[in-house]
Amino acid sequence: MDKTEIIEKIHYFLVDEFEVEEDDLTPEAHLKETLELDSLDFVDLVVAVESSFSVKLVGDDFKGVVLLQDFYDLIERKIS
Amino acid sequence: MKYALVTGGSRGIGRAVCIQLAQDSEYHILINYNSNKVAAEEVKAAVEAHGKTATLLPFNVTDATAVQTALDTWQDENKDAIIEVIVNNAGITKDGMFMWMPQEDWHTVINTSLNGFFNVTNHLVQKLLRNRYGRIINMVSVSGLKGNPGQTNYAAAKGAVIAATKSLSQEIAKRNITVNAVAPGFIKSDMTADLDEKELKKMIPANRFGAVEEVAHLVSFLASKKASYITGEVISINGGIYS
Repeated sequence: MDKTEIIEKIHYFLVDEFEVEEDDLTPEAHLKETLELDSLDFVDLVVAVESSFSVKLVGDDFKGVVLLQDFYDLIERKIS
Repeated sequence: MKYALVTGGSRGIGRAVCIQLAQDSEYHILINYNSNKVAAEEVKAAVEAHGKTATLLPFNVTDATAVQTALDTWQDENKDAIIEVIVNNAGITKDGMFMWMPQEDWHTVINTSLNGFFNVTNHLVQKLLRNRYGRIINMVSVSGLKGNPGQTNYAAAKGAVIAATKSLSQEIAKRNITVNAVAPGFIKSDMTADLDEKELKKMIPANRFGAVEEVAHLVSFLASKKASYITGEVISINGGIYS
């Protein structure tokens, strides 16, 4: 899976399941401030990632994940 | 199917809670017990007499691996099941003056009440969050509120669970999950069987020990939708002995 595909999939579930505005999905977007994902949403994010990418995430994986770009990078690291 | 899990459900208050929930709610009951299978089977029969199903889940709440294995195995066998209510009731006493208290009595009591709460609740809370509804009810004690000589270990464990109740309730309230604690005083059960009721009731304004069913009614209310806006509370049920 290449980076574009990863980004598309992430955008898909953020819009579909987390009701994030598509226009807000930029690499610089803050997950919490811009996309308004609160800490409880991360529980659902883990499930969405696991079903979309078949990788396991734990709470510690999100340390340092602030921007959407960080999230793309995390998933890319996990897949590789 | 929706389930209510009651830890330490084979005897005393836990037993009464299982039966009351079967009577008052639509929940199927998961009865956790540690060692007393015969008593747990009796509770199962009493629940079934109310037209609900009950499943026995034997595990020791102090053993995190055993808790995870038992709950995961049950969930694998019941894919669509949701545990919506958790009653953390398992607890033991090992009373004695603090100056003579063996380390083991300290750790056993803390492990059962406090770590038992963690092991069970921590393992299930993500599912509750995804469910966006839930009830967590922690059985504490008047000892955890006011302290009690001879119960430093028990009071410490229950006091810690009270603090955890308040913190967790604030973390997860947004997802319609309430977390409350019930603090009984002297309640007639195996745990108080050796106490001198005649003497002790003199200091209870209600002039009697409480019944397990009275505590179970409170738990049943907190487990219901009627209690949706109550969270982070410690509700005393003690005949007026402490408020």
